[in-house]
Amino acid sequence: MKLYRKEGNIVQILSFPNETVEKGDYLLVEDGEEGRALIVQVIDVQFATIPGVLEELLRSLPDGGELIQGEDIDPLEIAPHITYMQDASLLICKIRATVENDSLSPSSSWLPSRSQSTIKKLPIPTLLKLAKTNGQLPITLGTAKDSSLLTIDASSLDGRLNIITGKKETGKSHLSKLLMVSLVQYKATVVVFDLNGEYLSLGMTSDGKRNVNYDKIHVLTPSQNFKVALKQIGLHILLGILVHALHLPGTSTREFRRIWKELREKDELTLHELGETIRNWNCNLHVRDALFSRYHALVNSGFFTDNIAEAMLLEESLLKAKEEGGAIIINLRNTSTIDRQIVVEYILGKLVESLTNWKLKAAFLFAEEAHLYLRETYWDDIVTRMRHFGIFTTFITNQPDTIRENIYRQADNIFLFNFTNEHDLDVVSRAARVDAETVRSIARDLPPHHCLALGRVVRDFPIVARIKALDVKTMGETRLFFTA
Amino acid sequence: MDTLLPQQFTQLSLHSLARTQHQFIQLNQQVFQQMGSEEPLQTLKIKLEPILLKPKHRESIVAAVDTSTMKIAETSTGIVIAVRGANVWKQNENYRYTRLGPFIFHITEENRKDVFNTLERAYFTSALNKNHQSAPTLPQMPTRIASLLERWLQAMLTKTITNGLILFDGSLTSGTFDTPIHRMKEILDNGRNRGSIVLAFSKMTNLRVNGCLITDFALDHRPPYLLETVGLRLKPPMVPLGEVYVAKLSKGSCAFRLDIDRQVSPDLRIEAVERLLGNDLISQSYPETLRLAHILCTFTANEVLAMQHFITRKCGLQMINRPDMHKLLFGPFGKGESYS
Repeated sequence: MKLYRKEGNIVQILSFPNETVEKGDYLLVEDGEEGRALIVQVIDVQFATIPGVLEELLRSLPDGGELIQGEDIDPLEIAPHITYMQDASLLICKIRATVENDSLSPSSSWLPSRSQSTIKKLPIPTLLKLAKTNGQLPITLGTAKDSSLLTIDASSLDGRLNIITGKKETGKSHLSKLLMVSLVQYKATVVVFDLNGEYLSLGMTSDGKRNVNYDKIHVLTPSQNFKVALKQIGLHILLGILVHALHLPGTSTREFRRIWKELREKDELTLHELGETIRNWNCNLHVRDALFSRYHALVNSGFFTDNIAEAMLLEESLLKAKEEGGAIIINLRNTSTIDRQIVVEYILGKLVESLTNWKLKAAFLFAEEAHLYLRETYWDDIVTRMRHFGIFTTFITNQPDTIRENIYRQADNIFLFNFTNEHDLDVVSRAARVDAETVRSIARDLPPHHCLALGRVVRDFPIVARIKALDVKTMGETRLFFTA
Repeated sequence: MDTLLPQQFTQLSLHSLARTQHQFIQLNQQVFQQMGSEEPLQTLKIKLEPILLKPKHRESIVAAVDTSTMKIAETSTGIVIAVRGANVWKQNENYRYTRLGPFIFHITEENRKDVFNTLERAYFTSALNKNHQSAPTLPQMPTRIASLLERWLQAMLTKTITNGLILFDGSLTSGTFDTPIHRMKEILDNGRNRGSIVLAFSKMTNLRVNGCLITDFALDHRPPYLLETVGLRLKPPMVPLGEVYVAKLSKGSCAFRLDIDRQVSPDLRIEAVERLLGNDLISQSYPETLRLAHILCTFTANEVLAMQHFITRKCGLQMINRPDMHKLLFGPFGKGESYS
């Protein structure tokens, strides 16, 4: 390989066919005399502009597009040298850092010697060692392109905002399961909004047996094994549900506050009493109708109960998770849009409450396709306010434009799977921790189950990895018509 | 004459390159491809009555020969040249080719005689004995070696093709260093004996009538047609072995000098051109088979790079790029040797 040119933080390197370099690989451009080296990442591989190649190609197609047949008697065997030249490639590389005395700096202000520099592949383990990504809580994501293990540290997810995105069936859920299970093994509390019932069997192996995580996976299905009693619920949580999920107007909200206060004073916070009180409440007819319709929505959701014994599972699960780590899977499959919003409002309210009271230290929240249940104002809440309470969110989506731009800007880690759509790539490339060229060029060519890890987890050295297989029972598969 | 693969070319090539080991080479600043023919002064007339042509579709093989040479580097003692030749033939509506080379030679003042004479001896034994010529000078060597290869390829075609049309690049003028009379005669005789007719197309000519190039005598007549010339005389020892025509074989602005073996009867000469029209694609009055032969043997810039790569790898030569004196002295006003 030979250094060809440098423009800004882009370096072009001439590579020959016997040097196998692919997109995503790291190279070390070492200038011995300077005692420094550039770490560059290949973001595109192009044909080198070799003079005469066009003529070479044209003359092989003179006869209406068909290859002319013939024999080349080439006693000196020059032909391999011709193909060697023709197949030379130009590696477009992004400068990631400068290495000097085994320490990294983000500088790209110096120019290595074009004639004297040596260029070699930088193995991922060496890069990770230089970048000091190793920590006390390793999570092996899978294998990098050079077959070495890509291990991140769980602490780089702690207190961070993460995004897992890519088009359908590229392995997003697989990675999120891997992260969840790994966090649980480090005794973290994980809450998952499971839209398609994909995470229900995290405690089972692929052949249906219990795995080591079985006791730490708590599946909560709203209105089945997961219900809440009005007595457990704080007024502000219920108001959150009424206002944000059920769109109760302001005047009616004020009346509801008064009703709630009266019932609480009488210690009659039950669904039946709530309904009766609304019926007999002395107020404007429209207000009563509004309150009644919301009341029926709450009752019909099946999520509320007057039986306290039925409504203890979340508290118990959180308690268990706090002590030994665990994942609380909120199964939102088969739940209507309104009910889903009610449940999500409740969970988020309850989490904030638990964290405020220090019942919980922190929780990792995994939200799949959050735009389907997260109200508008929660986006900012999650990345700013809730983060300070200790809710560290990972968004998982195949529609990157459903996540707001400011979320991308503040994301600490992005796990990017394949995207081919330019618009999708545009959206993701707005992330602050990555350059647009890298996202556009590498993500487009990622094979299934390969992910481009960006951000703190890889110390801002984007690395492509094949996500390792996980021995858990697969759920949430698409139901097909044409199956045997 | 040896009809096998030109082993001697290969051996000489390797032998000459072996002597270049660990020298410095200067990248070439001067490129020449496709030899131009030397044409003597003459007097000539042209018949302005066109010979109208009708394509004859009786199936005939059309074959063509061309060679190319190029100086690819200079060493402290000489030059490194590359030579390549191509035979192309059209049969059953398909074009096929055999391409020989590239052969790379390191030619020095010391070895130029040996190289040239060894090649002459190897392929044209009779010629060397009867008409011994002094070895060409160093600058002449590329074209002279390419000429040897071209004559050999021409000889191969005339010895192997029956009842075909054999197209040469250039004229059928002989008696020059490159084209000894008996050698050209032998080639033409071989073809004629097998029922083939040789037609030579010159891309450039300096034959003039009343001061005008013969190819400029355009008529308001619909092509294809030929214009016949008469009275061509050349300075000895040059001899025209072909009858010279101006060929305008298709629409467009191009017309070419066409030499046809003069030992063939006039009718057969005209018929040969008509068979060519019926059996080959003609574009800009030039036959496709010959065009392909030219294209296939021409060196592209990529191939020059590859050959330079080959000699640096195989012979351990180190390339140096001596500054272009024009650019050095005249800056932006120096256009380089290729423009001078």
